[in-house]
Amino acid sequence: MLGMSWSTFRDRWPTFVGAIVTVCLGVALVQSSLLTLVSAATATVPPGLSPAEERALRDGYAGALSLLGMTLGLSVFVAVFIVSSTFAFTVAQRRRDLALLRLTGAGRGQVRTLLVGEALLLGTVGSALGALVGLPVMRLQAAMLCGFGFVPAGFAGQWRSWVLAVSAGTGVGIAVLGVLAASRRASRVRPLEALRDVGGAARVMTAARWVVGTIFLAGSVALLVLVPALGGEAALPLSIFVSFTLVTAFAVLAPLVVPLVSWPFGLVFRGRLGTLAHANLRADVRRSASTAAPIMVLVAFVVGMAGTMGTLTEASRQEVARDLRADLVLDADRPVGARLAGVPGIGAVSEEAPVVFDLALDDGDGGLSYEATDGLAVDPAAYARTHRTAVTAGDLADLRGASIAVSPGYAPELRWRVGDTLPVRLDGGPDRLRVVALLPDTLAGPYFLLPPEFMPDAGPRRYAVQAADPPAVAGRLAALGQVTGAEQWIDAYADDQQRQSLDVMVALLGMAMLYTVLAMVNAVVISASDRRGEFATARVTGLTRGQVVRAALGESLAVVVIGVLLGALAAAGTVAGIAFAVEDMIGISAASPPWGLLGAVALGAALVVGAASVLTTLAATRTPAIRLVAARE
Amino acid sequence: MEGSKTPDGTASPTRKMPAGVTDRRPRAGWNGYVDSKVSYPPVEAPGAVAPAVELHGVTRVYGARGAAVRALDGVDISFPVGSWTAVMGPSGSGKSTLLHCAAGLERVTAGRVRVAGRDITDASDAELTRLRRTVMGFVFQSFNLIGSLTAEQNVAMPLRLAGRRPPRQVVRDVLAAVDLADRARHRPAELSGGQQQRVAIARAMVTRPAVLFADEPTGALDTRSARTVLSMLRAMVDTSGQTIVMVTHDPAAAASADRVVFLGDGRLVDRLDRPSTRQVADRLARWEE
Repeated sequence: MLGMSWSTFRDRWPTFVGAIVTVCLGVALVQSSLLTLVSAATATVPPGLSPAEERALRDGYAGALSLLGMTLGLSVFVAVFIVSSTFAFTVAQRRRDLALLRLTGAGRGQVRTLLVGEALLLGTVGSALGALVGLPVMRLQAAMLCGFGFVPAGFAGQWRSWVLAVSAGTGVGIAVLGVLAASRRASRVRPLEALRDVGGAARVMTAARWVVGTIFLAGSVALLVLVPALGGEAALPLSIFVSFTLVTAFAVLAPLVVPLVSWPFGLVFRGRLGTLAHANLRADVRRSASTAAPIMVLVAFVVGMAGTMGTLTEASRQEVARDLRADLVLDADRPVGARLAGVPGIGAVSEEAPVVFDLALDDGDGGLSYEATDGLAVDPAAYARTHRTAVTAGDLADLRGASIAVSPGYAPELRWRVGDTLPVRLDGGPDRLRVVALLPDTLAGPYFLLPPEFMPDAGPRRYAVQAADPPAVAGRLAALGQVTGAEQWIDAYADDQQRQSLDVMVALLGMAMLYTVLAMVNAVVISASDRRGEFATARVTGLTRGQVVRAALGESLAVVVIGVLLGALAAAGTVAGIAFAVEDMIGISAASPPWGLLGAVALGAALVVGAASVLTTLAATRTPAIRLVAARE
Repeated sequence: MEGSKTPDGTASPTRKMPAGVTDRRPRAGWNGYVDSKVSYPPVEAPGAVAPAVELHGVTRVYGARGAAVRALDGVDISFPVGSWTAVMGPSGSGKSTLLHCAAGLERVTAGRVRVAGRDITDASDAELTRLRRTVMGFVFQSFNLIGSLTAEQNVAMPLRLAGRRPPRQVVRDVLAAVDLADRARHRPAELSGGQQQRVAIARAMVTRPAVLFADEPTGALDTRSARTVLSMLRAMVDTSGQTIVMVTHDPAAAASADRVVFLGDGRLVDRLDRPSTRQVADRLARWEE
């Protein structure tokens, strides 16, 4: 059967090009991310750094690790998705051939072996290419991480030869996982189908699709119900998960959902061409579904993630705006409290110093592990005047001596209460701090307030200043450091956050987009190559070549719209969940759907799919129609 | 072939039955002929040669109650070993369904089907797969070769599927038998229609099947290629006692067979033994009136 796989593969390679490129890309990304991940995880912090610098470096590496981890997961998920839709498509196209094999005596197992064999070949070719492509990708990734400030300049992923085994395993694994469902379908092709059309399109919705789709849909509903029930910080990751499960459900149920969503298009699609395009859209459900699926995934990821980050950023901006009760913010690089007190026109002032301390967390088996943590050393009375502090338990005024105020949301599982003592390591300070107050849940921080005794003697300070006449006071403070109006300061803070999350988005989503563009073009090209006969019939019936191209274009664009709608619906699940969780946490409702991005993605998808559709339809109608029609029987 | 002249000059009869005409002639004369005229000992009798294929009271109904269509309606027929039977009838008479049921490609609604002495009526998919490898061969109008394989590989396919390493000589011999020894390495796209059909016949014959099922084997061929293919099939029956069941529209093809049976509305309505093309055409025209 493997020889047979080889000859099919050799003969039908154009069908497999998309899948090979997908596997290649997946393997390249997995290999490069894995090597970079290992290098980042084992990177040593050079000695002689200040605690803050060391902390920043470690944080950077941790950020790099989570970005790389997400890249790994996403690339494997999307690659399996694309390969499996490619195989589903080729099996549908090859029903007759497969039936013929069955007729000449192939058993079900042998048909499966044939397809798995093809997947093995595809996976091997893809892995080999991917291992090569992975090398420049790794350099690119290191440069990107460096550019985002996650890793210090000069960081590079190190080559380890065991990764080749992983790459080969990944490529073949992706291909074989992708072929499983399709090979099961293929083994069910009846020998009789070699002799006559049994109407394969009628049975696109298989029992397996029903089961898997229903499970994922039910799972999404369960998650959406759980989010409000759980509330708080735990609800955030669940919400992000919603768009994954929803989009999988939509993709699996696409043969059912796509025609359903396409129904209203009948009102828009009028006239001869419109009717034809609409009829085609609904008639070949498999084709519409396999083009719409990658668009759904793209929109769900991009819009879901952008919406998540946008919502979180907007919420923390609003939180800062709500909680800061100052007119000016002064950022100084050394303590200037004494000079500040002498400036006329000044009301309440709160001096705040960032403090890095090690907080001991139970590592699970009785031992303690210390983790570098950001705190803010403040004078509780001044802080309470310049900030809204809705302490949920205890009293901030007790923040004196070996004490700390904590936001339990930092580590909900520890259930901090007033009176607990937290083991810490603090430069020259005590090794135990008593919890005197509980701060409310927060997105923007601070999670820990420390008493003024722990302010270092030197180092940067921030002052929240109340003033009767802010512009005049701002002028007088300019000599002490950088003065910003509270509103501008909040906006600058939000912009900074936004930029950080945007970098991560670009890295992750750039990759996802590359994949989905591949999948979209793949689906359009494969299906158009199969439609020469259909196009020819349309032309013999009286349509011009231009009209055939226009009808196909209309059909593709409608599929794009459907994909965007369903993807946006999946993303909406996530954004709604996040917005709810945020409101539950900090009482701010700040859903911020990225409309601009959604529009851009929709436009991009329409351009790519439209161009692919026009080009392939033109190519498929190059031969005079009558020759194709005549040649068919 | 529709509308073209058959080799002996008669026009092919039109396929369609005139609208509104339903054939409900008495069946008594035809129903029993298999048993009365061509009588074989019962299959179970020791030492008896069982017919290659037997259908007993086979009925095949398509669709649900309201829109049910009886494609086959209680058909009894047996195909003796070493004989070539042509099945004819107007479109929709059930001849393709008869072939599919006889070959186990479709389940029968009622009745029994036996192939090479084995009852396949309720056979499992695995059992049917095994039978397709060993006792059945298929040839069809659209040659159904695998485009990515050479003629030789196509012919060897059934043996490979059965898990046997096909001896090159056997494959070569079978190809030589259909006069294609020099085309072994060609792919289907490089062969003419007639040559492709001969490869398909070689593929069907390589397992030495007990029965060869042919559905319009000359339907897509020009007259000359059709004649070559028919004489090859004839030779297989005469020299090696091959059993052939063939569905066809073409009176010339049917005239190459040992006997011709006519189907109408899912029932056997007539038969001819060793007919000429003209006789077949006349009889067909009569049934299609």
